[in-house]
Amino acid sequence: MKGSSVMGATILSSRLRVLMLTGMAALALLGWRADARADVSDLSEEDQACLKCHDRPDLTKTLENGEKFSLHISGKAYAESMHNETSCEDCHDSIDAKTHGKKPSAIESSREYALGMKDICEDCHKKKFKEYGDSIHAALIRDGSTKAPLCSNCHNPHTVQSSEKVRPIADTPCASCHKEIFQAYSKDVHGLERTAKGKTAPICADCHQAHDVKAASLGEGVRDTCLSCHEKAVETHANWLPNTQRHFDAISCPACHAPGAKRRVNLRLYEGVDQVQLSQKTGVPQFVKRAIAADEGNLGLDERALWSLLKEMNEDNVAGNIRLRGRLEVSSAIEAHQLGEKSTAVKDCNTCHQSGAEPFQSVIVTVAGPDGRPLRHGIQKDVLISANSVNSVSGFYAIGSTRIRLLDYLLVLVVLGSISVPIVHMTIRRLFRRALEKREAEKAAAAARDRDQV
Amino acid sequence: MQKLYVNPLPVRIWHWTNAFGFVLLIATGLQIRYAGLIQLVSFKTSVAVHNWIGFVLIGNFFIWLLFYLFTDKIKVYHPELSPMKYFRASFKQIQFYGYGIFRGDPNPHHVSVYRKFNPLQSMMYQIIMMLLVPIQFFTGVLLWDVARFSAMIDTFGGVRVVDTIHVLLFIFFCGFIIVHVYLATLGHTPLAHFKAMLTGYEEVEEEPARGGSL
Repeated sequence: MKGSSVMGATILSSRLRVLMLTGMAALALLGWRADARADVSDLSEEDQACLKCHDRPDLTKTLENGEKFSLHISGKAYAESMHNETSCEDCHDSIDAKTHGKKPSAIESSREYALGMKDICEDCHKKKFKEYGDSIHAALIRDGSTKAPLCSNCHNPHTVQSSEKVRPIADTPCASCHKEIFQAYSKDVHGLERTAKGKTAPICADCHQAHDVKAASLGEGVRDTCLSCHEKAVETHANWLPNTQRHFDAISCPACHAPGAKRRVNLRLYEGVDQVQLSQKTGVPQFVKRAIAADEGNLGLDERALWSLLKEMNEDNVAGNIRLRGRLEVSSAIEAHQLGEKSTAVKDCNTCHQSGAEPFQSVIVTVAGPDGRPLRHGIQKDVLISANSVNSVSGFYAIGSTRIRLLDYLLVLVVLGSISVPIVHMTIRRLFRRALEKREAEKAAAAARDRDQV
Repeated sequence: MQKLYVNPLPVRIWHWTNAFGFVLLIATGLQIRYAGLIQLVSFKTSVAVHNWIGFVLIGNFFIWLLFYLFTDKIKVYHPELSPMKYFRASFKQIQFYGYGIFRGDPNPHHVSVYRKFNPLQSMMYQIIMMLLVPIQFFTGVLLWDVARFSAMIDTFGGVRVVDTIHVLLFIFFCGFIIVHVYLATLGHTPLAHFKAMLTGYEEVEEEPARGGSL
């Protein structure tokens, strides 16, 4: 029995080896095939026919707006791209092969052309297209922006590579619009590591998403993204930071991890029972209009103006219960991308928890705009320390730095009063005692005199 | 002099733990609130000490509560149900502290085992122990972990409202402790009431007693 089982195992082992070798051979063949695809000759005859003209680097077209538009498609780059199995006609199906290149076709501008082509991407990339449709970029385009990116602004359809492939950080498409932010990123802790080690550090899309891009200063999305890589951050902060969760809720990560950044208080409006961040509806510019109307001297809203703004918005709002919740953040997107090494992060409680602390010198109020961008208005910094703001800024309080001044005066008054009352009482008691003792002494003396006379 | 056992051991333990605890809470509370002005202890240490003492005093509060709930000594807190009687007695007591004490008049309140508080003390201690101290503990616990109790904090109007209540009571207790210590010196000797709270025995004159503490 033992011998047969050993034999069985040997047969199984040899079969397994054959299977593995076959698998490896198949993979090698596939690999060879993939390499073989990276050549123009592997493209379809129709595609090669297109490239006969379009692979010429000098092929251009002058558009209606005068723009010189390159019609050059590198055959090699196209053959190596992710779209090498998509034929030219799949996307450019409106082209009539008989008239193409012979009859001039009018194109207004490269932007107009890209706008017209973007829906074609949806045919294959439905999920990504939907995500993009919910993004701030798509909202800006719907709003008439001529600069917000379309599919082809970030992904050249003829050279597109796998997102898994690590490219030099300078090739990141976001950099072309968000230049200053990208420059800051390239020098911060993530950018430097990305340059040095590649995928171990995040680049734009890893934190902001490639397609479902939202305004980073709204919601909690970016903070949660930080925590998705820095999984033990809550735990390690809890070792030294009291009220850890509150700090995580009320302070954006860069506010402590971007040394030297200017910070500010962002009072964000929340509504309803679930307290979701208030967003202004399209065509109802109540927030901006009212904030400007309430801010007469354009100095920022004072406590009364803020209170009446909230009152008016509460009256209009169906969900009701509009509240302000404060959050500490850095004052610009550039500063949010100047993250330093862990050792440089703020750890001193006094940075925030004392009167006049720097982060509380600048205050804004924010709602989400209809296009997904934040709508902001300035607030006077004294609002945070005013007794009149107890109700309006009820959802934000930082010990020490936003303490209500009136309570300080009350404390001094009560302590001085509590010390003065016993001192005055004790003094009166002593004066009375002396007077009583004097009277007693006089009485005793008078009695003694009377006795002597008798 | 007659000696009356008016402060049983649990009451004395509660009182002195509470007294030292409150002083430490006030000190750490001042350090936390005025971190920029006072630099005796680090902010972080003050917060940790403040939280720990707070929880000790919450436990200590239950020593007081259970002792009075399960003994007949609770009678010392029984309110005077006749408003006329109560106001007359209170007026006499105020008159004594405001004038009579200067003339050497006797204290209108006569201490006994079940009536150790004068009408002003009785009212004030009921308000403090049954209302102000629990509110202070409750707001303190909410502020101890703002995220955990965020729903409840919102119900009370937000973290700023809760903190303002906590600070207002803190201000009251700052004043109360100073006045309390002074009034405690108004016994038949300046240290008589302090000794009574240490030994449990109050020395009561056969004649109506002079002074009292609040």
